[in-house]
Amino acid sequence: MTFSNSNFPNKEGFYGEYGGKFVPETLMYALEELENTYNKLKDNKDFIDEFYKDLSHFVGRPSPLYFAQRLTDHYKSGSIWLKREDLNHTGAHKINNTVGQILLAKYMGKKRIIAETGAGQHGVATATVAARLGLECHIYMGAEDVRRQSLNVYRIKLLGAHVHPVDSGSATLKDALNEALRDWVTNVDDTYYIIGSVTGPHPYPMIVRDFNSVVGKEVIEQSKDLFGKMPDAVVACVGGGSNAMGIFHPFIDIKETRLIGVEAGGEGVSTGEHAAPLNDGTPGVLHGARSYLMQDESGQVKDTKSVSAGLDYPGVGPEHSWLKDIGRAEYVAVSDDDALKAFHEVTELEGIMPALETAHAFAYLEPLMKELDSSANVVVNVSGRGDKDINTVAEIDGIVF
Amino acid sequence: MNRLTSKLQNLKENNKKALVTYLVAGDPDLDTTLDLMHLFVDSGVDVIEIGVPFTDPIAEGPTIQKAHDRALKNNISLKMILELVDKFRETNTETPIVLMGYLNTFISHIDLVQSIGENSADSILVVDVPGELNLQTYGITNPNINTISLISPTTKDDRVESIAKNSTGFIYYVTLRGVTGSSNLNIEEIKNNIQKIQQYSDAPTMAGFGIKSVEDASTLAACSDGIVIGSSIVEMIADESKTKEFGRIGEYLREMKTAIS
Repeated sequence: MTFSNSNFPNKEGFYGEYGGKFVPETLMYALEELENTYNKLKDNKDFIDEFYKDLSHFVGRPSPLYFAQRLTDHYKSGSIWLKREDLNHTGAHKINNTVGQILLAKYMGKKRIIAETGAGQHGVATATVAARLGLECHIYMGAEDVRRQSLNVYRIKLLGAHVHPVDSGSATLKDALNEALRDWVTNVDDTYYIIGSVTGPHPYPMIVRDFNSVVGKEVIEQSKDLFGKMPDAVVACVGGGSNAMGIFHPFIDIKETRLIGVEAGGEGVSTGEHAAPLNDGTPGVLHGARSYLMQDESGQVKDTKSVSAGLDYPGVGPEHSWLKDIGRAEYVAVSDDDALKAFHEVTELEGIMPALETAHAFAYLEPLMKELDSSANVVVNVSGRGDKDINTVAEIDGIVF
Repeated sequence: MNRLTSKLQNLKENNKKALVTYLVAGDPDLDTTLDLMHLFVDSGVDVIEIGVPFTDPIAEGPTIQKAHDRALKNNISLKMILELVDKFRETNTETPIVLMGYLNTFISHIDLVQSIGENSADSILVVDVPGELNLQTYGITNPNINTISLISPTTKDDRVESIAKNSTGFIYYVTLRGVTGSSNLNIEEIKNNIQKIQQYSDAPTMAGFGIKSVEDASTLAACSDGIVIGSSIVEMIADESKTKEFGRIGEYLREMKTAIS
């Protein structure tokens, strides 16, 4: 078993013209150290065995590919399959990457773990693996996200990690990432930074992709077993883009499968109030990588808007930008309203409460199923469960506990 | 010859150390920035670094971050900063000016960067581009502009050499692991590393990040070609942004100048 046979990124960390390492000098050696460690370990049998053993016994993989009967009936066309990442330990796909990266930290002898988080799922997943290895853990989280994801904040604290609310800028995910990078610049000697998405400077987008690609690899095998061919489309939400990249990546050479990433359309892409850089952004450099970015004409990064904390990010992983430009993946956007509608619909029809991030992917089934042939098999990546969003949804519905 | 290069050469020939100071353009407003630049020069500053504000300045500590935020509230753009430099040049054609910022704000206005003339800014320091990468890759080929690269305590020896080669203005030695305005200078490490840099390169080496006291300035100047002061000035500017009584800054800079002489 290997992690990835991809030719991308190149040696400098570029996917076409996207990616790279745009960081303060102090971090260059840390990125090099990480890249060297990863390149050495990714073909090491003991390391690979340990990773997959943890995925089986700690995370509970493989996650099922589940036929959604009532959702399929609802759309009256095609077959809808759900990749149940919500059933993973800690409730989202984020644990796959953290299990891998904490192993890297262990092999590198790092004693202190830091991470950024938006929706809190990556914070929980990081605090979880740090607790398991008894490592000191610090989570940076935008003050606005601390408010709207209070349940996850408490979970992180229960796991023994420190939560640092970040007040600067828009007080959301991008600012948490800035602050985590600053921590890393300061404590670079003993600290491992577990980035939570396929974003940031090389080698992170590659490492996070490779660890999370277990999702797509499982879907390929499960599709063969369950419906005897490759899916016609795979649909996943895209914030930074780690759940989408994890499921897309093993499919890149399987041309018969359409890959559809769904961004956060917020109030609607035409209003400018959204978090959909692949739909309405231009290439720029943020957080160490060149990628599509929501920015103004002066190159300043714009504030984003989404009901979903995990998608509320002005950038996107560089490999997604490349997949967009070469036309291998399609990127669409759905609004807050449509995502909320899908959240309720899936919960009621399937007894599965998706995360608000995931609800964006579900919302795109409405136009997609009309467009596809009636024999089509569509896989939706259920990137996480929705318990964490109950307060947000209740507030929107006017319910006070 | 580039204004910055000749200034630093001149100082070196006369056995003098350079005093480089930083401020963020447009904090608290552009008129004040212009006044402060002249005050800097009158107080003995040799080179002015103008911070180009960016929404996500990942190498900056809280003091300079907040200054970036304040400047952005005034919608400060690179165009306005170059106009500010033009105004400064109306009465000062001597003092070299370095524009310090983040790649995204420069590449968004590559036309402006390319059009910088001889009587404008002299150098660009892009914090988030690794030193061995050439700014030409990003379309910055203006012969009037030289480039400054950073070397940090964590830079490995093999990279020190290639970075030094690419740096045409001076080499900015980051004196600590941390963001701007941090503390805990490790003087021995700094001395050793600057010596190492000077083995590889004849370019002047400035020490910066975390210099606050007269003692720091004096110790670091002894083992480098000059020092960069940022956060402590930015903090003083913020403190007096309402009264605009900046006498204390002049005093502080004169003390620093004496300390490094």
